[in-house]
Amino acid sequence: MSMLHFEHKYRVRGGTLVGGDLFDFWAGPFYVGFFGVTTIFFTLIGTALIIYGAAIGPTWNVWRISIAPPDLRYGLGFAPMRAGGLWQWITFCAIGAFVSWDLRMVEIARKLGMGLHAPFAFACAILAYVTLEVIRPLLMGAWGNAFPYGIISHLDWVSNVGYQYLQFHYNPAHMIAVTFFFTTTLILAMHGGVILSSLNPPPGEPVKPGAYEDSFFRDLIVYSIGPLGIHRLGWFCAINAGVWSAICIVLSGPFWTRGWPEWWSWWLNLPFWN
Amino acid sequence: MSLLLAPFQPVAAALGGLRSGLRHHGGRFRVGLAATVAAAAVIGLVFTLERPAPRNVQLGYRGTGMGAIYNARLVAQQLGLQQVDAPLPPSIPAGKTAAQAYKNIQVLQNLDANEFLRLMGAMTQWIAPQAGCAFCHSLKNMADDSIYTKTVARRMLQMVMAINTQWQSHVDGVGVTCQTCHRGRAIPAGSWFIQPPPHGERNATEADSGQDLPAAVAGGSAFPYDPLTPFLLSAMPIRVTGTTALPNGDRSSVNQTDWTYSLMIHFADSLGVNCTFCHNTRAFEEWDQGTPNRVSAWHAIPMVRDLNRNYMAPLAQVFPVELRGKLDDAPKVSCVTCHNGAYKPFYGASGLPYYPELAHAVTMTPPAGSRP
Amino acid sequence: MFDYRTTFGVEYQNLFNRTQIEGKLDKGAPLEWGMENRRGKPSTSFLFGLIGSQQVGPYYLGATGLASLICGLIAFEIIGLNLFASVGWDPVQFIRQLPWLGLQPPAPAWGLHIPPLAQGGWWLMAGFFLTTSILLWWVRVYRRARALGMGTHVAWAFASAIWLYLVDGFLRPLLMGSWSEGVPFGIFPHLDWTASLSIRYGNLYYDPFHMLSIVFLYGSTLLFAMHGGTILATSRYWAEREIEQATDPGTAAERGGIFWRWVMGFNATFESIHRWAVWFAILCTLTGGIGILLTGTVVDNWYLWGVKHGFAPEYPRVYAPITDPGLLRAAVQP
Repeated sequence: MSMLHFEHKYRVRGGTLVGGDLFDFWAGPFYVGFFGVTTIFFTLIGTALIIYGAAIGPTWNVWRISIAPPDLRYGLGFAPMRAGGLWQWITFCAIGAFVSWDLRMVEIARKLGMGLHAPFAFACAILAYVTLEVIRPLLMGAWGNAFPYGIISHLDWVSNVGYQYLQFHYNPAHMIAVTFFFTTTLILAMHGGVILSSLNPPPGEPVKPGAYEDSFFRDLIVYSIGPLGIHRLGWFCAINAGVWSAICIVLSGPFWTRGWPEWWSWWLNLPFWN
Repeated sequence: MSLLLAPFQPVAAALGGLRSGLRHHGGRFRVGLAATVAAAAVIGLVFTLERPAPRNVQLGYRGTGMGAIYNARLVAQQLGLQQVDAPLPPSIPAGKTAAQAYKNIQVLQNLDANEFLRLMGAMTQWIAPQAGCAFCHSLKNMADDSIYTKTVARRMLQMVMAINTQWQSHVDGVGVTCQTCHRGRAIPAGSWFIQPPPHGERNATEADSGQDLPAAVAGGSAFPYDPLTPFLLSAMPIRVTGTTALPNGDRSSVNQTDWTYSLMIHFADSLGVNCTFCHNTRAFEEWDQGTPNRVSAWHAIPMVRDLNRNYMAPLAQVFPVELRGKLDDAPKVSCVTCHNGAYKPFYGASGLPYYPELAHAVTMTPPAGSRP
Repeated sequence: MFDYRTTFGVEYQNLFNRTQIEGKLDKGAPLEWGMENRRGKPSTSFLFGLIGSQQVGPYYLGATGLASLICGLIAFEIIGLNLFASVGWDPVQFIRQLPWLGLQPPAPAWGLHIPPLAQGGWWLMAGFFLTTSILLWWVRVYRRARALGMGTHVAWAFASAIWLYLVDGFLRPLLMGSWSEGVPFGIFPHLDWTASLSIRYGNLYYDPFHMLSIVFLYGSTLLFAMHGGTILATSRYWAEREIEQATDPGTAAERGGIFWRWVMGFNATFESIHRWAVWFAILCTLTGGIGILLTGTVVDNWYLWGVKHGFAPEYPRVYAPITDPGLLRAAVQP
């Protein structure tokens, strides 16, 4: 059925964060739990609001649907439903669903005697989302500074907000974030590749044990970070990609209002070579 | 002797401790050092940012991200530099024109003589408050044209009148006076010269590409460092974006786009605004998706070209050598010359109503001594 | 008393190595050929040991790798010396202005002709040596895997990255008929190139292959956060012995799998997660390369292409209609 043959011995009650054994059961392969219920609650309401927003909007073309935040003049107050209020409640539901999902991951990790690395990493992704939709708008003084919910419209927002700072690629935190994204993808390819190449050697060759991972990368680039270290590095780089993305956008506006190229003038004007 | 060395003993002890620490716990020390350097870097970078006081002016439909972003603190500093001078008291009509009252009057001949004097007083205040009349005039003979500044000033009067009459499309409703550019300085901010390659010929190595150096005029980016010569003196094409979905033979290049980008950063920085002040950047080229500000900005381009070609460049030989550029050219006008970091000079305030004579049509020919 | 160790399960939170392993260093698995080229006495690094293996070396230095390094060094020197020359050989200004300095491709007027060195020839030559270096390095990656009797997955993933590099610097300029379309060398200059490319060709965000590339870039990051997190979280069950866990699953594999099964109803295995990983990473640069190759060659304005295909959103109007003033003043069109 929906249970793996060895799964019985792991399906034990307990380890929840709140509510004792309330909702402490499984549905098919899914664990439910208190936070599973809150996840479903927020997801259903949020999705219904998005569909309602699309219904009162001009199009059902999935690429063009956009649910925009309020005008700046509403500041940090509530806006009428059709003028950004929908966006506010969808954001509320999204955060509720994301945080519930993360706490549910914590409960599952506790049940399985695992560390909290996966929920922690997800928390950093949530942080990036909350920075864009809540923290930065709060610092800028209006919900209207957040991005709209739409497949293409959010790209238009990214474009305009980038060009508000003339050339966003000069944002140092953006540079760091992009570097972490590229590095994560590079080492993911290296790690995934070496595991697959150990497990899938040429015809006639035996599967290679773990020591070959180290030998391959030492031969190739002098250093192998090792089978445990690579997961640490990948986890660290992935988290930093999200965190530095959050930093790069929260700096833009609250802490810097000019073109990002101009920020570098401090380097040119250091006293010892200017 | 030991007294003299005493202050150095803690230093020596620290160095010694550092050395033994390094020998025994080298790794830990390096971790500490790396952490300290990282912390110092983060703290240092914080001081390069602005203290938060963000203000966003919405310029498009909600959620599109079109807006002008300001820091209230920086705008407050700017406001002090953006004050129109108090006008001089109105003149009592003299009953005769400047040309009747004075010798060698070539512009504003028909202006009332007293109003003419009032304007001269205002020009002194705007341009050379310290030097006074003697900045342009030989005090022994005010009619004398021997000082070059007088020739320049006469031509600049004609330029101001031309801007206010022929370039309504750009300065409509506000207009300019001498103060718009000069603001108490003989040479306005943001005047510029043609930029030859800063490091000259480079023999066998890569020739100067006009870019890839810190470009002050392009907001400190690595974009071309002199976008003003091709676009605000010459009339190289500025539009680069494709106009049809599929290729139609348009050969505009990415390299050309660097130059346009550089000019556009100059526009934005001069006005203290950003790209979304004029454009919806998802489609830079689409007029109907941008803001009306783009139309005003568009008219500035032929205007500034006109000013540079017909008013500034011909004065090259009038200016003394030390005020000319490396290529012996005259100082020229850019966007920052009038705007000084405000989206409208003086944030829309105008001194022109107090000196309506500056909005008269120009009828005079260029002065003697200037090159066509 | 409040015991944070129990409450937060501190013993489960594997963050860094608390011991530095001492003992004989690994000389490496036997090679099928070329053992004499494995060089360098292995050494250790305390810093590396905190996050991963503290052993550095030995390494393999054969003819291909050496040739690759030499070609890379030549490219590095060509670029570096030209950048140095661009500040008049002033060492202080070289450091000060380094992020701004760049080596540009030939001007558009040169088309696909070979210009003199100072007119973009250096860019072509640097590109030639860098490309040679990269291709030789690819051969090295392939042969190092074969010499160990392993599959060549890393080499093929690397090939996908080389594809994007070749499209940006060589294939697209070739199709456009102009070297000038290539990417300049330099820190800020190559960032300026990306921005200008997007503006010239009407907004790269509307390029569906760019969208896919970003999806796979973010997806790769998501995957590594999930995979790395899972392995670290089950490392007390020896999850990092992935080959062993894939061929003979133990409790680490069971817990790691069940974790995601309970979270999202589905789980990969110790082998298949690495297939997901490699494919996401490969597709990032593969789709990215396609997106760039189509730009300017097949599509001239991605935004208008999006309008044509009905996926560009329409926003309510906030200003009266604005027309191009250039149409009214055709005589002076900026």
